[in-house]
Amino acid sequence: MSISKVSMPKFNLRDKFGDWWEGTSRNQRIVFRVALIGFFYILPFLDNPVFGTTESDFSSVLFYPMGMYVLMAIGLNIVVGKSGILDLGYVAFFAIGAYTHAILGISFGFNFWVNVVLGMAFAMLAGVLLGLPALRLRGDYLAIITLGFGEIVRIVAINVNFTGGAAGLAGIPAPPNFFGVEFLVDDPRPFYWLVLTLSLLTIWAYMRLTKRRPGRAWEAIREDEDVAEFMGIATTKYKLWAFVLGGAIGGGAGAVYASQVTSIVPELFDLNVSIMILACVVFGGMGNIWGVAFGAALLGYFPEKLRFLSDTRILFFGLLMVVMMNIRPDGIIPRKKREKVYDKNTGKEVLR
Amino acid sequence: MDFSIVVSEFASLFLDGIVVGAIYALVALGYTLVYGVLRLINFAHSEIFMLGTFASLGVTMLLGYTGFEEPIGIGLFLLTFILITVVAAVASGSAAMLLEVVAYRRLRRKGANRLSSLISAIGASFFLVELFRLLTDSKDWDFPRLLDKNSLFEISSAYFTADKLVVLIGAFGLMFALDRIIQGTRLGRGIRAVSQDEKTAVLMGVDVDKVIAFTFLLGGVLAGVASAFYMLFYEATKFNVGFLLGISAFTAAVLGGIGNIRGALAGSFALGLIQQFSSAILGYNWRDVVTFLILVLVLLFKPTGLFGEALQRARV
Amino acid sequence: MSDRLLEVRNLTMQFGGVTALSEVNLHVSEGEIAALIGPNGAGKTTVFNVTTGYYTPTSGEVLLMNESIVGLKPHKIARKGLARTFQNVRLFGDMTALENVMTGADSRNKVGLIGSMFGTAQSRRDEENSHLKAAELLNFMGISHRGGQLARNLPYGDQRRLEIARALALEPKVLLLDEPAAGFNPQEKVELGELIKKIRDAGFAVLLIEHDMSLVMKISDRVTVLDFGQKIAEGTPSEVQNNQRVIDAYLGVADHAS
Repeated sequence: MSISKVSMPKFNLRDKFGDWWEGTSRNQRIVFRVALIGFFYILPFLDNPVFGTTESDFSSVLFYPMGMYVLMAIGLNIVVGKSGILDLGYVAFFAIGAYTHAILGISFGFNFWVNVVLGMAFAMLAGVLLGLPALRLRGDYLAIITLGFGEIVRIVAINVNFTGGAAGLAGIPAPPNFFGVEFLVDDPRPFYWLVLTLSLLTIWAYMRLTKRRPGRAWEAIREDEDVAEFMGIATTKYKLWAFVLGGAIGGGAGAVYASQVTSIVPELFDLNVSIMILACVVFGGMGNIWGVAFGAALLGYFPEKLRFLSDTRILFFGLLMVVMMNIRPDGIIPRKKREKVYDKNTGKEVLR
Repeated sequence: MDFSIVVSEFASLFLDGIVVGAIYALVALGYTLVYGVLRLINFAHSEIFMLGTFASLGVTMLLGYTGFEEPIGIGLFLLTFILITVVAAVASGSAAMLLEVVAYRRLRRKGANRLSSLISAIGASFFLVELFRLLTDSKDWDFPRLLDKNSLFEISSAYFTADKLVVLIGAFGLMFALDRIIQGTRLGRGIRAVSQDEKTAVLMGVDVDKVIAFTFLLGGVLAGVASAFYMLFYEATKFNVGFLLGISAFTAAVLGGIGNIRGALAGSFALGLIQQFSSAILGYNWRDVVTFLILVLVLLFKPTGLFGEALQRARV
Repeated sequence: MSDRLLEVRNLTMQFGGVTALSEVNLHVSEGEIAALIGPNGAGKTTVFNVTTGYYTPTSGEVLLMNESIVGLKPHKIARKGLARTFQNVRLFGDMTALENVMTGADSRNKVGLIGSMFGTAQSRRDEENSHLKAAELLNFMGISHRGGQLARNLPYGDQRRLEIARALALEPKVLLLDEPAAGFNPQEKVELGELIKKIRDAGFAVLLIEHDMSLVMKISDRVTVLDFGQKIAEGTPSEVQNNQRVIDAYLGVADHAS
């Protein structure tokens, strides 16, 4: 590492927010949190020409792509953003979750919630089977292998009978009624609320992990895997966990997605999806969960809002990845932590 | 699974395997050379190839060939084809150099980690694919048949047609030329030096930026020529042609030992043969799965490839 | 013999055709500061890399607390009590100084992923323990005030101290320091020497690789000299300094100050 000066803080959304946040009292924070979460829940009712999307109905967009992108980006963030493992085949977990619900729901009549859990379980199993051998490899090769895995899942889905082959599966059951809320085909709002709730729960679980030992271990692995090992971190175990947890989230998201669209075909689960979620993580700030969620929501929203972006989505995302990596590799809301500088002698915090 | 076909069509499958392998080899060399100097997989190399196919097509369109006329004579064909090859090589070569500047150079200068470079490369790759998808309207584009593809002579079940001979002779000629460049020229020596030990190379006065730019140029030119051969042989292209061919070429490079030129060649021919034979036995639609599986198996069990180079170091 | 915390016997390390180490013997006893010196390329860092498990030796034995650690993975060896620093400072740049040290302290805790996710009482205790220990170590190394700063923003001297603090967090039996004084001015070297002695007095045995002879002379109890992968001398600093073979190997580097 080279000698570096203490960096002058640049304009940084996170720090500005952090400054304000530190000044608030406990009650103020609770109110803020409740208000923010409440805002997200009432979003579907805010459909108007200003917010609303041109291509399709706003509520539908909130579910997909926005909600789905956010949930998947949270999952991929654990793998890529936090641990530095480049997974280019993330869509495979999404596909496994979706097909699990589709097959078990249509052929065996299993309950949606059971299928979500099973979908996650199968995705985790796939994560272990792929991860155990693959995570031994270095970055580039791991990326290619995961890409291969994603493609293989898709090709198998096309060629195999019980996944419905190229024609896919239709008639996928919706989730059962929940305290009077019905999950109907033409109303995306309950599905959106479902995704929103799952996302919030996932973020909550994520925060618990990352503020503690696993979070530090993952970051250490991302920063310098060899040194992490020398510092007593069982890198293989932690990498596998990151991979598997990310996969579980992807699998869960897939099951939810299948229940809303009611019919799936293998083409839905192609490489482009993996790339789009990766772009969300890159854009939002690798490792920073709020940035990633925010970035994913934005990247889900804008192509729907601006017609010219809609057809050229991948073009835009590809360019975005190149630009972000070269100009602002930390994302729009960087993961840089708030630095506290203390005076050496007095021990008091030096305010900037 | 039909094994009898392997016996009855052995020579034919073998010949086609070598021809396809030759095309792979030219692309695989691009991957291997760049890996040698940068220790990075140039993800967007497959799009450089794809671009070449469209450049080749563009030349034929400009010359007015629509593919419905009679095949042209040998002399005119050779002239035309050389023109096509040169244009494709120039197009791909320059695109490769531009790619290096836009997607890699800045990150290299900053000493960014490999993850960043890889993501940048992937972004560039997808950008190019989408760009061409929009430009070419997602269609298949056919290449006119300039050469009479009747069999010139046969050995067992193998039909030696003119296009296959052109590909074989051209590819081998190019490999020989590349060997001369790497061994005999100053920039070629620079490539070898940077591949072995970049720091010392700098101390010895090697201009690393120039060497890297040259490496990308070489890789691009080879891919451009490969794309011309590809068009001659397969007679069609599409915006996503780079993906599968890239995976095959990359697998070939890894199979032979990434960073190793001889390895890239050996791996390419081996893979070409494996693909032909497995397609005959299992059916064409499992071909890519077989390729992926080979890639996975090699990386997991013999990551140094056939020629056993250490994964971290490369020898050109 | 029983007070030998770390023992290396007949260690040979070959990479392809190159023999980096040949039948090397050395040991570190309780309460001592041992030094490993030798010209560049003698194989000193390789000794570190082999003992910490990064490479598996071609032949020979490595014993930590009389237990063989050959073939164990680095993280297991770290947990058994062998911690190290690096020639080029290798910190976790985007983590704060405190977090860097906590990663070392974490390895002494039991609770892993599941516990952390469910927030068990033990995991919360572990978290507090790591935090406290890390703060103590930063204080011990004199860099408490840097706790909240990103490791990559620290001045060079503090980065080196941080690296040592992180290694100490593992509660090692033996601390391996790889050229800890590189890049320091004479005043800083003196301070470092005092710090290393303080570490030894706190109960950690130290093995250091160093080029600065005056530093080695001042603080080491025992010195081992390597040249071309072989041990050519061993003894007290003054014995070694006057050893003709050592002088020849260094070509008269007795006054060498790096």
